[in-house]
Amino acid sequence: MLDSSTSIQWLGADILTTLVFLPSLGALVLLFLSNEAKNAIRAVGLLASGATFAVSVAVLQKFNPAIAGLEAFRPLLVDRPWIPRFGIRYLMGVDGLSLVLVVLTTLLTLLVLVFSFGQSIPKLRGYVAAFLILETGMIGSLVALDAILFYVFWEVMLVPMYFIIGIWGGKRRIYATMKFVLFTLAGSLLMFVGILFASGVHARTTGILTFSLLEWIPAASSGVWGLTGTQEALLFWAFALAFLVKVPLWPLHTWLPDAHVEAPTGGSIILAGVLLKLGTYGLLRFAIPLFPGAAVRYTPLIAVLALIGVVYGAWVAAAQKDMKKLVAYSSVSHLALVVLGIFAGNVTAVSGAVMQMVGHGLTTGLLFLLVGVLYERRHTREMADYGGIASQVPVTTTLFVIAMLGSVGLPGLNGFVGEFLILAGVFKANVVWAAIAATGLILGAIYLLTLTQKVFWGPNRVKANLGLTDINAWEFAAAFPMIVLVVVLGVWPQPVLDLVRNSVETVVQIAAVRMVP
Amino acid sequence: MTGFLHVSPADLATVGPETFLCVLGIALVLLDAFARSLRPAFPYITLAGVAAANFLGGYAPGSAFAGAIEGSELTRFVDLLALAAVALATLGADALLSRDKRNQGEFYALLLWSAAGLMLMVKGNDLLVVFIGLEMMSIALYVMAAWYRDVPEATEAGMKYFLMGAFASTFFLYGLATVYGRLGSTRLTTLKGALANGEGFSDPMLQIGLLAILSALAFKIALVPFHAWAPDVYQGMTTPAVAFLSTAPKAAAVVVAIKVLSTLAPAGLGEPWRPLLSILAILSILFGNIVALAQRDLKRMLAYSGIAQMGYVAIGLATFDGAAFEGTLVFLAGYLATNVAAFLAVAALSNGEKEPHPLADLAGMGRQRPFAASVLTLAMLSLTGLPPTVGFIGKLLVFRAAVDAGLFTLALVGIFGSLVSAGYYLRVVYYLWMKEPSREVAAPQEDVLSGAAYILLTAAILVLGVLPRPLLDMARAAVQSLPR
Repeated sequence: MLDSSTSIQWLGADILTTLVFLPSLGALVLLFLSNEAKNAIRAVGLLASGATFAVSVAVLQKFNPAIAGLEAFRPLLVDRPWIPRFGIRYLMGVDGLSLVLVVLTTLLTLLVLVFSFGQSIPKLRGYVAAFLILETGMIGSLVALDAILFYVFWEVMLVPMYFIIGIWGGKRRIYATMKFVLFTLAGSLLMFVGILFASGVHARTTGILTFSLLEWIPAASSGVWGLTGTQEALLFWAFALAFLVKVPLWPLHTWLPDAHVEAPTGGSIILAGVLLKLGTYGLLRFAIPLFPGAAVRYTPLIAVLALIGVVYGAWVAAAQKDMKKLVAYSSVSHLALVVLGIFAGNVTAVSGAVMQMVGHGLTTGLLFLLVGVLYERRHTREMADYGGIASQVPVTTTLFVIAMLGSVGLPGLNGFVGEFLILAGVFKANVVWAAIAATGLILGAIYLLTLTQKVFWGPNRVKANLGLTDINAWEFAAAFPMIVLVVVLGVWPQPVLDLVRNSVETVVQIAAVRMVP
Repeated sequence: MTGFLHVSPADLATVGPETFLCVLGIALVLLDAFARSLRPAFPYITLAGVAAANFLGGYAPGSAFAGAIEGSELTRFVDLLALAAVALATLGADALLSRDKRNQGEFYALLLWSAAGLMLMVKGNDLLVVFIGLEMMSIALYVMAAWYRDVPEATEAGMKYFLMGAFASTFFLYGLATVYGRLGSTRLTTLKGALANGEGFSDPMLQIGLLAILSALAFKIALVPFHAWAPDVYQGMTTPAVAFLSTAPKAAAVVVAIKVLSTLAPAGLGEPWRPLLSILAILSILFGNIVALAQRDLKRMLAYSGIAQMGYVAIGLATFDGAAFEGTLVFLAGYLATNVAAFLAVAALSNGEKEPHPLADLAGMGRQRPFAASVLTLAMLSLTGLPPTVGFIGKLLVFRAAVDAGLFTLALVGIFGSLVSAGYYLRVVYYLWMKEPSREVAAPQEDVLSGAAYILLTAAILVLGVLPRPLLDMARAAVQSLPR
């Protein structure tokens, strides 16, 4: 038995290790349960993801958002040698940016598991275990500060998602999951070579063999890294492509609609809620601070792609008949706006981008969840198969309308804050960009309102819908916290903005403020 | 020269493990002839023998037999790989061979002799000793390839491997003779001295000799264009024996290549060797991976995958520095654990050794045989090089060394190969877990020995993937013991 002081110290010094591996511990426990012991599986799933969420909140409380720059990582830093021969460290830390996304991750994973207990899911044990391992990968990617460690967690996310889509997905799940894996892997393997090359150059110029961001970022901004222009450009793209595939930015987005449509609801929620954000997080954490010169140089190109993405995603979404596909394409559009905000390069736009990452995670997660509720009951996602179901399912309808309005960006709801800040920041950077981006938002309002109108209002023409039952307790328990956050963060977004302000300022300062020509 | 005939106890201790394994092999053959009822005990005897040989191998390094044989951290590393491969193949083979009543002592004897040969080959400081070891290893493998002699594929495998292997051996001898003719010695250390005394490494005779020796080794490693035997031999050979064939002998051949190259090219790998090895690496990676994509037979697929994997090893050889050799050794150790796991699981999930091993047979096995299916899944992920497996660590070190040496083409080809390989490795995972079963397996049970092998292999793949330091330290010590 440990005495209490050592155990607290252990929790304090290594709270991030606990945070990262607690879900995997749950998955390990599941290994010893029978697939038939449904309640035990649920209990382990809830316990593991709930405890992880609690730990993430504890980290949030310990975190001091007032510390600026890279020093912000210092108080909770975990730093141990891992492969000392090659300077690879077990180095983890959080700043405001990663912390916001960590809490989003732990919350969404918990809610996804809660939600899945309200649905009939075969092979539940494997399902829960896959989400828990995925959670380890996601949190690990967000807290890792050693590039190799980051890459390890980044790839760890791949396998459970491959299984989640491939086993519990829809008809074309194998095609979708292979496409997802190959696209992601193509990007990340390129980044892998980039990481190795970056450390090689760093070792030659500074004499220090390291993969630590805490060394790389100062070396990059002070110029001691000594990358030539070509090297920096190549490295920037090696990293940026991995992240832009994940975001996904047009024209790298084609895996996303397939993956979303075929994934089970829980998979879609995590995909939209967290995995896509890891792409934009990677841009903010790696691609831009490490290679600011190249980031500035290629900002116009990426901005054009992002603008195409905003309009194209919205346009294609408007043409969809399948609800899930529509929401998937709306993600393409919304995330393109986030990328635009990131590359606008001022504090307003980048803060808005971070806010929108959270907001999109909540609203799109909700939309996927509610589409999943309908699909569970009717086994169709065609809008034409619904219509006028508001009177049958009043609670679902209410939740859907709030989520939809949040996604559209109605003032008072969370989506508005992010979109407004992004547009305000982009406007400062480039008026034409802002104007084009705004049209995407108008299109967004049109297709989301049309979706709601077609599914929930109007005459109820389909007989099969008459017996439709409303959202059940588990499903509601999953949706409700997200709705609350959509409203609360819409009215009072300041805590999140305060939390991320220093991280955002650091990135913007490193990128030399002048990212926009 | 004191000569071979003067043998001291220290000399004998140096080849202690090899001698012991040979004697144990003979004992097993005799036991099989005169005490047939002991057959079920043979795997246990083999395992105990491997443990004893490992114990005997813990000697102090140094040269013996007047410098013809040299023990070092490097040979110790290969000893461990070889003994591990024998032990694991034995664990996996017993259930299968007993079922088919093919569990004669000769099988284990051949495994032991082959291992003894490859251990001797690596210890050889004289190219003649290397050749003797190589032949001892190979001849045992030729016989093992045709173990199911009533299965046409197996006889084909045996014949093919023997004929082509004999051809490769003559290449080795030819190269050896050429080197001897030019420099007057077959002793590696003497050759090194002769070269340092101004004998040009650029001498065309020497280059032809070295080319012939390297070709013979490339044949054993199965690098393109010396790979043609691999798919047929893999397909026809008893699966647990392939688990051995595809790992330890390859590792030994690679280590011999490292030894020969670093003796004859002490100043670094110049023209034309680096381009030549790079071409072998690129061809193996591209050809192996792309052709594997088209395979529908598991063992053929794994054969082509093995060709591609050895392409990554060739990247390490082409990079040719200490870090690259360390990476290569780590890669080989990881590949051993992974590939043995793959073949043992394939053997367990198949309909039997006399049947083909189509990919489609794996459908739905995740539900029916979760234990073996999980091991196979893990092996596939490790072969793809995904963390947190030991396969990732190997690729990390090899690619790092290549990128550090500025060999970007090799690294990028390797990356491309990894991406392609995900296509067929993950197809196995798809069949195991995502496809409905095509056949029902009658309440299969995992036997104790295979179960032990699965647990050991799973632990090795994951633990060395997460905490690779002990393996890295061993590899580093091994590389530092190379003659410089």
